[in-house]
Amino acid sequence: MKRRKSLFVHFSHIRLLAKKFAIVLLFLTAFVMMMINKTDTVIVEKTSSIATDAISPLIDVLSIPAKMVAAVYDYFSDWKNIRKTNLLLLQENERLQNLYARARGLEIENKLLAELMNYATPPEAKYTTVRVIAEEGDAFSHSLIAYIGPNSPIKRGQIAISDKGVVGRVENVGNIYAKIILVSDINSKIPVVVERSRDRGILSGDNTPTPKLIFVPREADLVPGDIVVTSGVAGVFPPGLPIGKIVSTAKNNIKVKTFGNLEQLEYLKIVDYDLGGLIENDGENLQDGR
Amino acid sequence: MGDELQENLVSGFRRLLPLLVSLFVLLLSYIPLNVGYFNNIRPMVGLACVYFWILNRSDIFNVFSVFILALVNDIISSGPFGSNLFAFLLMYILTANVQRLLNGKPFSLCWYGFMALSFAVFFAKWLVVSIYYRQAMPWAILLFSYSVTVAVYPFISLLFAFVQNKLIADEV
Repeated sequence: MKRRKSLFVHFSHIRLLAKKFAIVLLFLTAFVMMMINKTDTVIVEKTSSIATDAISPLIDVLSIPAKMVAAVYDYFSDWKNIRKTNLLLLQENERLQNLYARARGLEIENKLLAELMNYATPPEAKYTTVRVIAEEGDAFSHSLIAYIGPNSPIKRGQIAISDKGVVGRVENVGNIYAKIILVSDINSKIPVVVERSRDRGILSGDNTPTPKLIFVPREADLVPGDIVVTSGVAGVFPPGLPIGKIVSTAKNNIKVKTFGNLEQLEYLKIVDYDLGGLIENDGENLQDGR
Repeated sequence: MGDELQENLVSGFRRLLPLLVSLFVLLLSYIPLNVGYFNNIRPMVGLACVYFWILNRSDIFNVFSVFILALVNDIISSGPFGSNLFAFLLMYILTANVQRLLNGKPFSLCWYGFMALSFAVFFAKWLVVSIYYRQAMPWAILLFSYSVTVAVYPFISLLFAFVQNKLIADEV
């Protein structure tokens, strides 16, 4: 009887030790994972893509009822404003028709001038529309997961734009889902130029709704309302894509409000400007250990 | 023999229910809602899941359930991989230490407990992620996110209490 009791005590001691060991081991795993993630290797990227592909269909299914409820609500709230919206759309349509005619003229003129100057025209953009199935945003990260469909031409590093401007870039591409980091995410760094003053800088996400403009020249002439567009420096983003406008010009804290509403993104266009070479080469270099 | 197998399967499923329901709630929290600013202050529902189940059913929601839940959260998130695992494990340890104090106590007391523990976890995660990026993460958004997490806890615990009382209690 005494022996059985001592065996039981012994066994529970081992169990307790194993439990404590497991917790320590898991804590270590967490830190090792963070360290591996910091190296940003191809293995991490591949693993992350596979894992995202495995988890995302579940969120996709769960979002169906939520989207239906939202659609019903939108349907009824749209009815209230239908006449007002219709008038506004008619006016906008007229304005856009005029702008379109002007843009066509300018396009032809631009083409002729480019031919005269022997200018190497940038490649034509190809668009793929994707549907957002999951959103993530807090003090630690800002990203989306989008359904891209099988055999999609989307690659890592391509730009995601909404109807109003650049909102992020593709971070991971799986077989049918892709992870997109938003311009407000701390990992997002985009070379930009202020449209009016032509001052260059980097638009850096800081996990707040309004990203920061950094590495701007000291003598830069910036005022709230200035429009910020991509500069095309580094060759990942093409030049001239609208991103947002400056809302604050405080010292060391120049804030930009994006044109695209980062909180309400349902569909995005992934733009392939055939400029992804830098990122692909980076991946190859890492594989080669260079 | 057939009955025994069926019984074992049902029993196994019921033992897995806390993890499955937690995963369901976790995935649900990532659905796009198109609500202005909500995308910046999403709650960390995983913390609420760990707190509730460790407090009430630590026999069937153990450290490995915490690991799986954190892993799924890390996969969806674009934050540093492993940061959610760190946060959830910390919540697990803290909750396991106050389990005897809070188990069977009124809901309001458990809620205050969650308020205190999740604050500590949010702060620890903020510290780790800030060190990782060598840049302080935004305080205001962290506090909002923390407030939303505390605010949604009663709703999450209501669902879990239903699962616990109706589906698991009579079995395990």
